[in-house]
Order: sequence, then structure tokens, then C-alpha cells
Amino acid sequence: MRRTISLLIVLVMIATVSCKKPGGPAASGKKKLTIAVIPKGTTHEFWKSIHAGSNKAASELSAQGNDVAVIWKGPLREDDREQQIQVVEGFTAQGVDGIVLAPLDNRALVRPVEDARRAGVPTVIIDSALESDAIVSFVATDNRKGGVLAADRLGQLLNGKGKVLVLRYAEGSASTTDREEGFIGEIKQKFPGIELVSTDQYAGATRDTAKRASENLLNRFADEVQGIFTPNESATAGMLLALQDIGKAGKVTFVGFDASQVFIDAMRLNQLHGIVVQNPFNMGYLGVRSIVDHLQGKPVEKRIDTGVTMVTRDNLEAPEIQTLLHPPLDQYLK
Amino acid sequence: MVAEVKQSRGFVGPAFFRTQLNRFGPLLGLVLVIAVFSVLTGAPERYLAPKNLRTVLVQTVIVAIGAIGMTMIIISGGIDLSVGSAIALTGVITALGINAGLSPVIAITAGILVGGLVGVVNGLVITRLRVVPFIATLGMLGVARGVAKGVAGSQTVNMPETWANNLLSTVPKPEWLLVAPGVWMAIALAVIAAIVLRNTVFGRRVFALGSNEAAARACGIATDRLKVTIYALAGLLFGLAGVMQMSRLRLGDPTVSAGLELDVIAAVVIGGGSLNGGEGTILGSMIGALIMAFLRNGCQQLGWENYVQEIIIGAIIVIAVAVDRWRSARAAAESY
Repeated sequence: MRRTISLLIVLVMIATVSCKKPGGPAASGKKKLTIAVIPKGTTHEFWKSIHAGSNKAASELSAQGNDVAVIWKGPLREDDREQQIQVVEGFTAQGVDGIVLAPLDNRALVRPVEDARRAGVPTVIIDSALESDAIVSFVATDNRKGGVLAADRLGQLLNGKGKVLVLRYAEGSASTTDREEGFIGEIKQKFPGIELVSTDQYAGATRDTAKRASENLLNRFADEVQGIFTPNESATAGMLLALQDIGKAGKVTFVGFDASQVFIDAMRLNQLHGIVVQNPFNMGYLGVRSIVDHLQGKPVEKRIDTGVTMVTRDNLEAPEIQTLLHPPLDQYLK
Repeated sequence: MVAEVKQSRGFVGPAFFRTQLNRFGPLLGLVLVIAVFSVLTGAPERYLAPKNLRTVLVQTVIVAIGAIGMTMIIISGGIDLSVGSAIALTGVITALGINAGLSPVIAITAGILVGGLVGVVNGLVITRLRVVPFIATLGMLGVARGVAKGVAGSQTVNMPETWANNLLSTVPKPEWLLVAPGVWMAIALAVIAAIVLRNTVFGRRVFALGSNEAAARACGIATDRLKVTIYALAGLLFGLAGVMQMSRLRLGDPTVSAGLELDVIAAVVIGGGSLNGGEGTILGSMIGALIMAFLRNGCQQLGWENYVQEIIIGAIIVIAVAVDRWRSARAAAESY
């Protein structure tokens, strides 16, 4: 029995020791606002940038005399819809002032967000859309514009003629479908001399599936295409690997999406001729700014674009591009 | 129960405490977790508010229903690693049914039956092919997940709005239910399962099978058929858990609940179930499931990061089992 008690005491101590959050700063004149920021996962660089951005917003707002605290909490299992629902429900029950959410699913998260709204907790959606009107604002990349940027770059490099293929990401993924459609629409409209030889193949969820799909596509089209577009990180990585394997990297004009060190290296080797990058840091920043504006009764736009940028070998070293590729994570994440 | 009290009357020694600890150990753990977090959050009135309790209960249901089935399996000396995949599969099947225009009752029944079918296959592989449960259900973990993705076309299955979407709303419809209908269903099932395990021939046979399979067979129990029945019954419960999962997501998601089997097994083990078989209670498993749900909720309210939460839950599983081992070692020492 005594040992049981000591075990229980150990348990309490584990719990107590890991409690390292004191009450927070003393409230200034205004009411303290607690904002929960809920990403899709916590380990990817993309989400770390969003975290840093939301922390920046909180510290800026606090410096202006608004007491704002950000709680960062992802689903316990990455990319698990149920776990993310539990996090939203938990914050609703806890009674935070507002939620900034990157929903893992455009439908599954509707009920918890609407329940939160009914309980008096408003939500700003970031990154991916939610099929609900009960939200304050949707703060995200204009994906269509990203596709258009890619098409302009590829069209110019090819001088408006040649054969191009698009390796799509996955069926039913809204953000990448917008990029693909933006790309295809712009090519058809602005570059009639360019022929789209394949636009119906999918890369699938991982780098590995993307590489296989790329290999199959290249087996058929490698000798005739001059241009390639891929709409996200894994598809771009898979295509790049496949091109390198068959010695075609650098011989076709290739524009991808999202940033990674591998892509930057490939760009320096002229194997990749441009990547469209989003601005997750800005997404986190504007997400928190918008919910706080809303809570303070200021009007908030229903749709806020966080911007897309074309990164090429030429502008790679520019300071603003470097900040975009390497957001100041260390400064805001401690 | 009466007999035990009589035995220990007039002798309030270690044996008495042990019996009490045996019965109330997990409950003590739950009370402790709730108490600790009430204090740590600095706002017990908020942590224990009906709103928060309702949320925690709803979040416990899927693991709890799974744990009812898992308790039976673990008592019988088996294990089932395919729970998470079975939940995904049955959720997808139900969503497909509702989406195809079937009435929710029929679609839900179909989902539950598919869960039972998964259980039957597990049972047959274990008894006919002589594959140990760990491996048989490890195989099923992959197969059921694959089938779920296959029938769903590798994407989520949307479905129209029906009452089936509100089985596990945090705010129940109608509101006089106090908690979501799914919570009541889980409680009812737990009570039924506890009675069946404790008071029926079937229940005694499950314990006999887990305590000593050879002896059970020698006593004339058709152990193979009993095993298939146990996995099938548990499968039906996993099917219902899948329906609950679908209801919460409002869609069939073939990728959901990966790794959930470990939560379910942990609930049973924290609740005093022994992986050697022959031991375990439904009440204990339910408390085990609640402990984990309260832990998660409390950690979130304190703003702890996920890794802290994972470490704590891991530590609690080990502590619970260590206490259990110590308890049974003492029991063995005293009986000589």
C-alpha cells in the first residue's frame, strides 16, 4: 500500500513538474484575449512557420497594449481528423476567446466549429477552406493565383510554345486542384502555342507515390515534353527524383510548388526553373490579427490572401525571398 | 462481494487493503487525475463544468466501446490489433450506405455487421490456421485498412445530413438527454457486457479460457468456437465504434483511427486487465478510457504540448501495470 501511495505521488509530481505555464502577464487595461491556434500537424516546417507568425502577431498586439496570448495545439496524431475535432472541442469547453484553425477536412470540422460559434467562440480558418458560413474569415494562399504564376513563368521560359505536362497531386484535394486549374486555365488562355499533353495523372500522397507516377509519365512523354508543372511539395520532389534518375533533369523546363532545401539546390543546378512559394508565416500572423480584430469589434474581410511568390535562380538571394524561405523561426519560437 | 467482506471482517490487515485496492485501484487513479487537473488548471469550476464533462464523455465513447470488446478478448487471453482499421472500415461502409440512400438504421446495421465479420475472420484465422492472435490481427490491421481505402476510393466518403450525424454531438439533440445519445449507448452496453461477463455461463467460460485454455478444453468447453464468438462479438462493438466515429466526422474517413488500438488496449490494461488472460473488468476498462480522456483534456487546458501528454500517458500505462504486477505478486506470496 505504501508503495502504491508513493507511486501515486510520483504521478502527481510528473504532472506538477511538467506544469510550467504560470498565469501569464498581469492584465493591462483591456481584457486578456486567449487565442487557440490549431494546425494540421506540428512537425512540418510549414506549421512551424505558422506558429512563429502567430506568436509574432501576439507579441506585436501585446506591445500595443492588447493582452493577447496564443496557445498552440495540434492534433495528438498528425493528420487525424478525430484528434483535431477533439482539440477544437477541448478549447470550446475551456472557453478560449477565439480559435484560429487549419482544418484537416473541409466538412468533418464543420460541426465542432459551429458548436464553438454557438458557445460564443468565433473561428478564423487558415490554410484550407471549411464548408461553413459560421466563420469570421478565411485567411489563406490564393492557390489559383499560384497556378497562374507558375503558368506565366513556364510560358515565358518556353517562349509560348512546346509540349507541357501537369502531374496533379491527389483527387479531392481542394488547394492543389485550384493550383492545377489556375495553371491549366492560364496556359490555355495566354499561351495558345503550348500543348498540354497530359493533365489527368495523379502523384498521390507521398514522395514515393509521386516518383512512381512521374516515372510512368516520363516513360511515355520524356522525349517529347519541354515543360512540366507539379502543384505541391511531394509531387515536385517525386518528379525531380524521377527526372534526375533518367538524366533528364535540367533538360526540361520544370516549375514546381512549395519550398524545400532540395528544391533550392536543384534550382542552383538549373534542374528546377522556379517554385511558387506560399507565405505560412504571414498566414499565422494574419490569422491571429484577424481574430483579434474581430473580437475587438473591428470589421474583418471574409477572405484574406496571404500571397504567393515565384522564386527563381535569379531572385533567390534577394533578402525578401530569403526571409520568405527562412522565416525568423528562432526569434519567435522558444 | 458479500463473501469477500465476510472473509476480511475483523481483520483490517494488508489483505483487506489489497482487496479494496484491487477493486478501487483504477477508480482511485481516475479521481486522482481529475483532482490533480482541477487544481492545476486553477479553475476547478471550469474543469468540472457540465460543458467540459460532456465534452470529455463524448470524446471517451469511441475508445470506451472499443474497450468493451477488447476487455472480452483480453480476458480470454487474446489480443486484437485491428481495432483502428476496423473502425475506419465500418465507418466508411456506413457512410457509403447512407450516401447511397439507405435509411441510416440499415446503413448502421450494415456497418456493425461488417465489424462482426472482421471479428469472425480474425477468430477463424486464429483457430483454424493456428496463427497467434497478435499476428492474425496484425494482418487484419493491414487488410481492413486497405479494404477501407479501397471501397472508399482512397478518399473521404461524404454523406447527406441525417440523425446519424448527431450520435456524438457535444451538445445533445434533444437537449434533455444531458449527454449525447452515444454516451448513453456506451453506458448501456458496458452494463450489459459487465453482467454477461460476470453472471452468465458464457462469461465464466471466457474467464476459464483465459485462465487456462487446456483446463477449459478438458472441462468440455469448445474453446475454438468460443474464441470465434468472442472475436465476433468484439467485432460488432468495434463496428459500432466505427459508426460513432463516422457520426463525429460526419463522413467516412478511411484514414481515421490509425493507432487507436493502442488507446483501446491501454484503457483495458490501466483498468486492470492482464495480457496473460483471465483478468479484467468492464468497469475497470471504462475507467481506464476515462482516465486517458481526462488526461488529454486536462493537458490541453493547461496548454501543455503534445509530447508532454504522450509521455504522461505512456508513464501511466507502465505505472498501472507495475502496480498490478506488484499486487498479484503479493497475492501469490500470501496464498502460500
